[in-house]
Amino acid sequence: MKPRINHKASLAALLASALLLIGLPNAFGYNVRLSQIDPSRLLLTQNIRLYVSVTDDRGVPVEGLGAESFTIFESPDGRNFQRIEGLSEFKPAAASAEGITFLLLIDNSGSMYDTLAGRATEDAGRMRITHAKNAVRTFLGSMTQPRDTVGLVSYNTSYTLLTRPSGDKSQVAGFLDGIERPDSEQAYTELYAALTLAVEDFRGFGGRKAIVILSDGENYPYLEHSGNLHPEFGEKIYRYTEPIRACQEAGISVYAVSFAPEKDPNLEAIAVETGGTVFDARDQEELARVYQRIHRQVAGEYLIGYRATMAPAEKKYVRVQVQENGQSRETTRFYFSSTVFGLPPEKLSAMLVIPLVLAFVLLWLISLLKFEKKRGPATLEVLKTRVGRAQTRVMPLSTAKTVIGGSRNADLTIVGNPSVKEQHATVIFDSKKKTYTVVGSGDLTVNNRPVKTKVLEPGDVIDVGGATIVFDDGEV
Amino acid sequence: MSTGLRRVILLCLGILGGVAAWPLTELIVGAQALFPSYLLFVAALGAAVGLLMGTFFGSAAGIFARVGSRILAGMIVGAIAGLIGGIIGLLIGQAALFLIGGLFLNAYRSFQTVGLPIARAIGWAFLGIFVGAAEGFRAASGKKIGIGLIGGLIGGLIGGAALEYSRLYLPASLPSRLIGLIVLGLAIALFYGIIERSMAFGTLRVLNGRLKGREFILNEGRVRIGRARRNQITLEPYENLADRQAQIRFRKGEAVLTNLEPRHPVLVNDRPVEEHRLKYEDVLKIGSAKLFYSYE
Repeated sequence: MKPRINHKASLAALLASALLLIGLPNAFGYNVRLSQIDPSRLLLTQNIRLYVSVTDDRGVPVEGLGAESFTIFESPDGRNFQRIEGLSEFKPAAASAEGITFLLLIDNSGSMYDTLAGRATEDAGRMRITHAKNAVRTFLGSMTQPRDTVGLVSYNTSYTLLTRPSGDKSQVAGFLDGIERPDSEQAYTELYAALTLAVEDFRGFGGRKAIVILSDGENYPYLEHSGNLHPEFGEKIYRYTEPIRACQEAGISVYAVSFAPEKDPNLEAIAVETGGTVFDARDQEELARVYQRIHRQVAGEYLIGYRATMAPAEKKYVRVQVQENGQSRETTRFYFSSTVFGLPPEKLSAMLVIPLVLAFVLLWLISLLKFEKKRGPATLEVLKTRVGRAQTRVMPLSTAKTVIGGSRNADLTIVGNPSVKEQHATVIFDSKKKTYTVVGSGDLTVNNRPVKTKVLEPGDVIDVGGATIVFDDGEV
Repeated sequence: MSTGLRRVILLCLGILGGVAAWPLTELIVGAQALFPSYLLFVAALGAAVGLLMGTFFGSAAGIFARVGSRILAGMIVGAIAGLIGGIIGLLIGQAALFLIGGLFLNAYRSFQTVGLPIARAIGWAFLGIFVGAAEGFRAASGKKIGIGLIGGLIGGLIGGAALEYSRLYLPASLPSRLIGLIVLGLAIALFYGIIERSMAFGTLRVLNGRLKGREFILNEGRVRIGRARRNQITLEPYENLADRQAQIRFRKGEAVLTNLEPRHPVLVNDRPVEEHRLKYEDVLKIGSAKLFYSYE
């Protein structure tokens, strides 16, 4: 039987695909950006909070989406994503009190010294750069939130960070005067490189971040147009997809202010795909609203909470998929998820029992050690000397007479101490009584008491000119 | 036992503690995906490490006093203290790791070689602090808590960094977690060994008899001396002394020796004393034992 062709259905499909084609490259009328991942409750509640910004192609937040429009996926490797069932939290328009960090990138290439219409001019007032500087001043003047900070970058052949983000707007404005017309070597436009490097410069800053780039839109790489190796990038030519990826990974939106008669398609793609938009520099009123627009976008973010997976990974990828009117858009970022003891072993072996048992067996053996002294000969042991040093540390009392002194002929010699006499003290063994007696010829103390002579008992401490000597009869 | 031997044994116990803790950590880390939450996973890991390290460090005092029953009791109390310390320490450590790691993940381009090792070292330091201090809690000694704290901090920092760098730069076949755990155990032991003396109120060295050469480190506010094993200083092999003969109390930098059993005399520098403020290099005679008091 021949299959019947449903003409109505195929026509509808054709129409639908035609509609899709017309819409390309931004087939869907909105963009999704994960502007913030908040894992601060991960350890206590296992929850991850996401701040998701959904904007249309003009950068206007899309409001009124329900929880059912969002699907969350998590992955330990960025390839295999696991769908998260059920959200623990969903809040549209989750206003955030956090400040925003702005980075203003101002194009200082040769073409910025033409008029807005693209003609050469010597009238500074008509140059694009003057408009750009004014636009920056307008932007700085519109910054009303005290928590917001702003930094300034100029770029042409090279990327120059003029000032890191700070809250002092007038100080930032002061750096504009330092921007001077570049020489011919510096006059190229490394637009994509500048954006990518700006994301790098932004890494250290937490919270929400936005890039505002003022440009005439053309990427005019040094290597391609001068034929020489770039002094910093060498053979590398940045493509426009690089800043898009870098910005998406870092949750940064790019807002472009265009000074060219026609919008550069790639600059527009960068702005739109990162959740930003392109403003026309000639529309002063709209320019003054850039700042409010960005704040409105943050205020329109969706707060989504979900229960994190336990798959081991140093960092975990989160994918947010938004489905609306049969269209689907998604974005992926990652958060830090390493544990104190790191990643699991590749395989577990039963042999692991061995070190555990071994450790306890060795502990048991150590506990059996006896640290007791056995019976031995009578000795004199030098514990320490305050001045000079003893030539013997432990001296067995094997003879009837043992001389302690400074002389080299003494049995126990203490050298380098002038207060020790040649024959300072003598220990005499009485073989009948089996006793040892110390007899001093100089100053002598036993157990901290001055004596001339004393019958020693085990453990007596003899002090000879600061040398502490212990007598022991060796009995236990 | 001399100070040197004491340190060697402490180091052995530290290493053994790390070795014993390793298999269990491998098992728990390997089962991460089976845990319902990070909280339980981290608590279980901390409990395992603390339990085993605590067991081994807890045995030390009994081994030094050479009293079998005290070894076992010390191990049990050490295990409990270590378990609690391990749970608290690793939870704080993990919280710190999440926080710092999250910051460093974005801030450092060389995250693997700088950011992650630093973050992990800090995470381990918290584990070390609490596992080290647990031994002090076991002994109910403020000074010991302090010693353990410092040892654990340093050990944790080195151990955590060792774990990360051994994984980066040594062959994959080497168990990096084992290296980290051994370093942690070693460092805690090393600090007990080194700082114990200098942070102590003083030492008593036995001058004669079977325990000759043994050094008792006085790091508790009240130290009791006698024949019975319940005393911190047990002089079992000696004669003419009571089960609990004397005590030394430390107050305001002074060490006061008191004779608790007047039927046996306690001598300091050959003179009987009831109560005596100890001076540097005093020679004590308690029963037939002679002891030499000094401090650093």
